[in-house]
Amino acid sequence: MQLFRNNRMWGTHDLKSSYDVVIIGAGVHGLATAYYLGKLFGVRKIALLEKGYLGYGASGRNTAILRSNYRTPEGIKFYNAALKLYEGLSSELNWNLLFTQCGHLTLGHTDTAVTGLRVRAEMNQLLGVNSRIIFPAEIQELVPHLDCSDRPRYPVMAALYHPPGGIIRHDAVVWGLARACDRMGIEIHPKTEVTDIQVSRRRAEQVITNRGQISADVIINATAGWASTIAKMAGVAMPIVSHPLQACVTEPLKPFLDTVIVSASLHVYVNQTGRGELVIGSEIDPYQSYSMKGTLPTLEQMASSSVQLFPQLHNIRVLRQWAGICDMTPDFAPIIGLCDELENFYIDVGWGTYGFKAAPAAGRYLAELVATGNTSAIIAPFSPDRFRRGRLVGEKAAAAVSH
Amino acid sequence: MLKTRARFSFSFGGTSIEAYPGDSIGVAMFRAGIRIFTRSFKHHRARGLMCVSGNCPNCLMNVDGMPNVRVCTTPAKAGMNVTPQNVFPSLKFDWLSILQKLDWLMPVGWYYKIFTHRFIWSIVSPFIRKAAGLGKAPPIINNFSSTTAPYDHSYIHTDVAIVGGGSAGLTAAIENAKQGSRCVLIDDQIALGGYRRFGTVDTNKNENLIQQAMSEKQITILSHSYCFGLYEDRLLGVVQLPNDNTQGESVTHIRADRVIIATGTFEAPLLFENNDLVGVMLSSGVERLIGLYAINPGHQAVVIGDGARAEHIASLLQHAGIEVVSLVHSEQVVSALGSEQVTGIQTVTTRINCDLIVVCGHLVPNAGLLHQAGASLEWVDDKGAFIPTHLPSGIDAIGDVTGEHITPAAGPSSLNNDSKRCYVCFCEDVTTSDLRTAIDEGFDQIETLKRYTTVSMGPCQGKMCQLSSIEICAHKSKRSMNETGVTTSRPPNPSVSLGALAGPNHLSVKKSPLHNEHKELNAVWMNMGDWKRPFYYSRTRATTMQACIEREYRAVRERVGVIDISPLGKIEVKGRDAGKLLNLVYTHRFGNLKVGRVRYAVMCDETGIILDDGTISRLSDEHYFLTTTTGNTEFVVQWLEWWLIDTNWDVHVINVTGGRSSINLAGPKARDVLSQLTNVDLASDTFKYMMCRQAEVAGAPATLLRIGFVGEMGWEIHVPADYGVHVWKSVLEAGSSHDILPFGVETQRVLRLEKQHVIVGVDTDAMSNPYDAAMPWVIKLDKEDFIGKASLTTQQSTSVHERLIGFTMINDTHLPEDGAVLVCSGAPVGRVTSARFSFLNKTVIGLAWINADLAKEGNSIAIRINGNPAPARIQQAAFYDPSGDRLRM
Repeated sequence: MQLFRNNRMWGTHDLKSSYDVVIIGAGVHGLATAYYLGKLFGVRKIALLEKGYLGYGASGRNTAILRSNYRTPEGIKFYNAALKLYEGLSSELNWNLLFTQCGHLTLGHTDTAVTGLRVRAEMNQLLGVNSRIIFPAEIQELVPHLDCSDRPRYPVMAALYHPPGGIIRHDAVVWGLARACDRMGIEIHPKTEVTDIQVSRRRAEQVITNRGQISADVIINATAGWASTIAKMAGVAMPIVSHPLQACVTEPLKPFLDTVIVSASLHVYVNQTGRGELVIGSEIDPYQSYSMKGTLPTLEQMASSSVQLFPQLHNIRVLRQWAGICDMTPDFAPIIGLCDELENFYIDVGWGTYGFKAAPAAGRYLAELVATGNTSAIIAPFSPDRFRRGRLVGEKAAAAVSH
Repeated sequence: MLKTRARFSFSFGGTSIEAYPGDSIGVAMFRAGIRIFTRSFKHHRARGLMCVSGNCPNCLMNVDGMPNVRVCTTPAKAGMNVTPQNVFPSLKFDWLSILQKLDWLMPVGWYYKIFTHRFIWSIVSPFIRKAAGLGKAPPIINNFSSTTAPYDHSYIHTDVAIVGGGSAGLTAAIENAKQGSRCVLIDDQIALGGYRRFGTVDTNKNENLIQQAMSEKQITILSHSYCFGLYEDRLLGVVQLPNDNTQGESVTHIRADRVIIATGTFEAPLLFENNDLVGVMLSSGVERLIGLYAINPGHQAVVIGDGARAEHIASLLQHAGIEVVSLVHSEQVVSALGSEQVTGIQTVTTRINCDLIVVCGHLVPNAGLLHQAGASLEWVDDKGAFIPTHLPSGIDAIGDVTGEHITPAAGPSSLNNDSKRCYVCFCEDVTTSDLRTAIDEGFDQIETLKRYTTVSMGPCQGKMCQLSSIEICAHKSKRSMNETGVTTSRPPNPSVSLGALAGPNHLSVKKSPLHNEHKELNAVWMNMGDWKRPFYYSRTRATTMQACIEREYRAVRERVGVIDISPLGKIEVKGRDAGKLLNLVYTHRFGNLKVGRVRYAVMCDETGIILDDGTISRLSDEHYFLTTTTGNTEFVVQWLEWWLIDTNWDVHVINVTGGRSSINLAGPKARDVLSQLTNVDLASDTFKYMMCRQAEVAGAPATLLRIGFVGEMGWEIHVPADYGVHVWKSVLEAGSSHDILPFGVETQRVLRLEKQHVIVGVDTDAMSNPYDAAMPWVIKLDKEDFIGKASLTTQQSTSVHERLIGFTMINDTHLPEDGAVLVCSGAPVGRVTSARFSFLNKTVIGLAWINADLAKEGNSIAIRINGNPAPARIQQAAFYDPSGDRLRM
């Protein structure tokens, strides 16, 4: 049947010796940047280098939650731009990303937490983002299975309700963007690991990989988890520390949870996928590490928090746990732009725990910067020189666990 | 013999099923003649018992409301209520089995390819969600601790941990124990012995090993327990299954010097058309039914396989009275026949009638734990298996898991099979055709193939399908098995319930030593961190909260009040280098603090952000007494200890929070009250503001700090917790002539807000530094290095972007909620952190962050209340007693 003609999604290529743009990291950020470079600015001589398989890094390890209910004006505008792009992306790519805008609830268990949620609700409303504070009666209606009973620890006092938030199929975003890039002649190179970057006269000239050497006019570091190690190859120091973040998934159940539930006090977030599994995510591990192995204490903490929220799930079994690496910046905001030290080395890094939901906007406006030199107001607050200027973004105050 | 034992019954979908002690639910049902156990995930195909070992997804049912229970291994209990799941409406007849006829509409990845329009997807997705999923979520209950099975956690440290109680594991345990090592032997079956338990070979030898292991004192046996994870540094996560109704599952954490994996093999299905029909069973499943339960799974059997293994199975079947119609080599098999249940088999040459097909499947080394721990899995052709190699140090593998006794079960011919009814993945109904299509589409890496087709992502965790899917991927993409590789092994495997992982509910509530006193005084409670604290004390029913708070407020401002501050964090720092540590961790100087003095203290992180505040008192040369905010106590202790690592300093950090009962006595009459209870000279020129003393109060040894969070003359009185009630009662008694009142947290918050005293974590957040928070005086940049110095040095020279200010509402009926936003021509310019009605001038006052350029004394600002801006004015100085005279009275 025509509907399901099995087109090949992408091809394989030999590595050429030179490209206009080399993007390190073929996750959602690298792919989105390449996609918009090709689509909006006609830049297509691009190589995307991926050290593992397509979607190996954070793009395939996050919990696929989208939202724009941030706290600072900079954050709200930026993530809302990303959310709007995501809304149109399935049609644009002709590939269903399984984006379900099921609503997103951030629970407040203490007075202080509720104050924080109110700041976000108010800021969101002022900037045209649909968010409001709701109280237990309405919360219970939205999430009948949530334990809203009066209890001494972690009572549900209020929640920030953000109806446009939801979940998406993270792998589908990777595949959809990769297919679209491939169709434009952009090359994706899986299993191609960057081992060094050669710099001369304030320019990053050569990218050395396990498959050979490439020169490029522009090099973009779009890695997550390895942002500082890649930057270091080009002699650029990043204000980044890397922490693992763990998540786990349970056996599938019939749908019973229609919204994304986040509890910062319990360090947990829970949602139910279209296939019925519960995806449970944790806060970043308190220590720095590049390990992508799950640990038992964190698994136990996730389970404990989940049954606090949904006591009846105590018999539901966890099928697997995993970890991804989060590059944390001092202000919990990303770094996007041309790096100070080199003329042609762009960075799109420091994505902490919020990179996936940002990808289309980061890609779209970084592509504009690379192609035209114009820094859009959307990404200007996240420029690399803000640390030198002391102009940090205040998102850390809201970002502790807020997926 | 069976018949003489006590029988019992349980219900299956309304029918009573009889069971014998030792039966699993599934076995009892099978004995009662039930053959269809489940309907499959996507195609709703009938499925029956296949592995009888808890590995495959064919027997998932709802038991007493709990979904996805593997009934083939779950012990049957009298009165259980077992129902099928994912059937519309019944197991025998499922409307959705029509889906297998419509599978041309749902090839692999179909949902990515259609419904690309946002609105169509929003309409369709709820229906797809409903069809997906397996069991129904259990019925709603509230409160995890009170209503559920008593889950437990325990911890074992041992020399050697052995996973697997078959002959290899038993032998290893006995040998290690003989050499003097303490051993823990973990076995997932209800009895030791491995597969020899239901076999006919070496049974005596096996029995001897079991007896030896059980009598060996150095061996701890965890039977009916499975290891689900082998974590970093040889930490094993083990679930002990309950033996009776009174117990819950328990997670045992085992840390071992050496780990020996003797987990043997499990059996995985072969690929042929209709390989999922009811009546197609794995040989190990048939062995279990016959050997453990004396149940014959059929009358006429065809055995697929060759060599000794197939012959062994055939003779077992014959011995049990089952007619073995034929032995068929796996390469000869075309298809199983039958619509739901097996009626025969089609081979390349002939068609054979039978009601049971016994598959001698792939023997897969059960090496998941080894792979998790970092071992490699390498394909060995003449074993037809991935064999563990490069074991991490301290971890060994023995027995069948190393590939002993394994030969390939099937040749490569089946890998060309393009059937839509040849199931690779039984959990998700992924067929050979699906995999081959996906590989054609470009998903030719095993990891992307897995994510696209969902093969190996279901409840069996890849046990049934991983090997076949790798073989197909390798074959089709023309790579070797080793190039194709295996997907990452992730714990927990086998799966573990959330309740077991959560363990006993340790979320206890902390109560002050004075808790019962407050109760008697009609405290209205609030939660603060882990603590219960009086919010205020209620009077009569007619008295409003506001009136109660005003009464408490007036007592403090006009006479004297007392508040229980026991939840406040209290830390003793002792030792020669105590001052050095405090100098390093806090922003102010503490090494030079005079004995008998108190100083306000702020700690920042490396980026200059305020982490906590409190007071530090120097009780003697080498003895400091710290207070912290209630919620941060544990953190501050950890933070102090963290910075002590590797210093060799002589410092001891002791958290004494739980050991002290603390109150704050405050108000113009505080001295009169306290002087009745102590001999210390409290005169204002001898016991000055910000001084401390150790003295007796009402006969109890006390630490007295003269400080004034609420803005009045006052003392913090810290006594050992046992004396708390006595001192509290004595203070109330002594104050009765001044009409003393206890006051709660809300009253305290109003009082401190009038003084613009900041609460860290309420008025500051994870982006606040002391400069922005208008307290530059706490930072001593001229002292030697301290945490945050570098950042604070920069911040001092860069301009402040936001500032914490006080404000007064113009209209006293406008009370902004905490978190309200400051607006300037429609744009946000700040936020309220605290706002309260002040009884002082009958106005609404508060603290707020505002863009620095607007932070000018007397400036008009607007605060958004219910969507509308309400006018307010900035007031930077304290609303009450800005000079602080009342503190020093």
